[in-house]
Amino acid sequence: MAQEPSFFHAIKIDTDACTGCTSCMSACPTEAIRIRNGKAVIYENRCVDCGECYNDCPVGAIKVAQDDFHLLDNYEYKVALVPAVFIGQFDDTYKTKEIYACLKMLGFTHIYEVEHSVEFLTQLYKNYMAEHPEIKTFISPYCPAVIRLIQVRFPSLVDNIIKLKSPLDAAAQIIFRKLRDIGAPEDKIGIFYVTPCAAKIASAKSPVSMQNTRINGVINMDFLYNKVKLMLKQHKCKDAEPINHSLTDKSVLWPLTGGESANFNDSVYAIDGLYNALDFLENLEDEKIDAPGLIEMRICDQSCVGGILTVQNRFVAKRRLEDRAKLLARIRRGDDHAKVDYSDQESQDLAKLMQIPDIKPRSLFKLDDNLVTALEMAEKIKDTEAKLPSINCCACGAPSCSALAEDIIRGEACLENCIFAHKDIDELYEKMEDIWGKVVKL
Amino acid sequence: MHYTFKIEQGNFTDAGQASSSVKRTMKQLGVRPENIKRTVVALFEAEINAVAHAYGGQIDVDIDGEKIVMVVADKGPGIPNIDLAMQEGYSTASPQVREMGYGAGMGLPNIKKNTDDLKIDTTVGVGTTVTMTVYLNN
Repeated sequence: MAQEPSFFHAIKIDTDACTGCTSCMSACPTEAIRIRNGKAVIYENRCVDCGECYNDCPVGAIKVAQDDFHLLDNYEYKVALVPAVFIGQFDDTYKTKEIYACLKMLGFTHIYEVEHSVEFLTQLYKNYMAEHPEIKTFISPYCPAVIRLIQVRFPSLVDNIIKLKSPLDAAAQIIFRKLRDIGAPEDKIGIFYVTPCAAKIASAKSPVSMQNTRINGVINMDFLYNKVKLMLKQHKCKDAEPINHSLTDKSVLWPLTGGESANFNDSVYAIDGLYNALDFLENLEDEKIDAPGLIEMRICDQSCVGGILTVQNRFVAKRRLEDRAKLLARIRRGDDHAKVDYSDQESQDLAKLMQIPDIKPRSLFKLDDNLVTALEMAEKIKDTEAKLPSINCCACGAPSCSALAEDIIRGEACLENCIFAHKDIDELYEKMEDIWGKVVKL
Repeated sequence: MHYTFKIEQGNFTDAGQASSSVKRTMKQLGVRPENIKRTVVALFEAEINAVAHAYGGQIDVDIDGEKIVMVVADKGPGIPNIDLAMQEGYSTASPQVREMGYGAGMGLPNIKKNTDDLKIDTTVGVGTTVTMTVYLNN
């Protein structure tokens, strides 16, 4: 897959559907959205693909890009890389083996669950923590939206992120090597990730570290759910073969809040939800929170079962995952060690592949590379903000008066965008039409 | 660039506004993260000191292209023995303050560690003025 030099974004605005209602603009945690000509536009360098705008849009105008399903046809080994959350989307009536049988009928030749990589990774994360005594607080690299949020809003915390691959990238590597080892030609292996959120698409398309990924395509979970649900409803998969339960109970719980940190003996903090994450990071950055140990942090409420591309109620999905974990624990009882065994050589090779280079800060606040110029701009922003009414009405097409002040000084808006800057009513309507398209005079 | 903030005795929950504003500006300037952290930690400590010990005061912050100067001036009991106050672990904080998790005697030593220049003017019974300087890109 071609590597983009900048962030790839999965979130797009459908301008035909967008009514310019400002819901998304107000929801965005990085103030990445503005209204221009009556439609939402995204400042790409600010967007972290968290999906808050998708959740808040009342007309479904926020779209999540995915790959064409027919991309599968380009490969002989068609792998569905499925997160455990996928099974959680279905009612208990449908068994795991039936769901997976449907995926095979849809054209996939292999099904590999993402969480197969987590036991191996847990050990690597532990080693990493032991090898870096100078770092007090470690942040898990699991949630790509968290990583991007740190890059743009909390650049001083990038060194706290564990510099190893996430379970998703790791699982893609593992299944790729497994298939290659049984003789599959590299260019015939197509690995397709079934994603519960936009951030994981963005990360699969342009990994944070800009390193090669083994993921060849991404399929949105809601899209695949519809296809599978239809087959299940039509009873097409009743004769499903039994599946090999090679996941452990702990691995299945990993994508839930607390499921990752439960594997660590250190002090752990399991944080989910955008506003909880923002608050924690803000205080951590200021050293107002003293948090030695590991931080498991996911942008979505209830972690991945709360992803924007999930279908099932997050608490119901969570319960199904927990039930599955209980079942796996029963099956495993008596088993000494359930984990997938790798040879020493294989473990070492894999461990090397899990390394990622530095994660670079990409501060969205920085006004200019030159400090003196930036200071002049900051001064002007402060003065401009003082003139504005501080009511954050959004009529200017920016999410707040402070955002407008910054846009003005960056040359992306003008003071006249503020409705209070006008004495002449006709002039005001003219300006509002610039921002909102057609404006109806009351 | 200049900022002024008021300090209110005993109001720990609202403390930190000054360091938050300063942090935002320093991010806009593209100051190195570690220098932002040093500044914010020092300013917050100084503010907490004033909230804990003084009867009120004011914070004045000036940023130019080279450095940030933060002046935390309070009306309060003053510091009778600065050398003692600079020792790690020494604290005159009241039991109430300690109960809130402050008063570990790390305030001034921590400020010293995180600033490039620290000046303390204090008169017993009148008040204390702490002047802290951090060079932005040293």
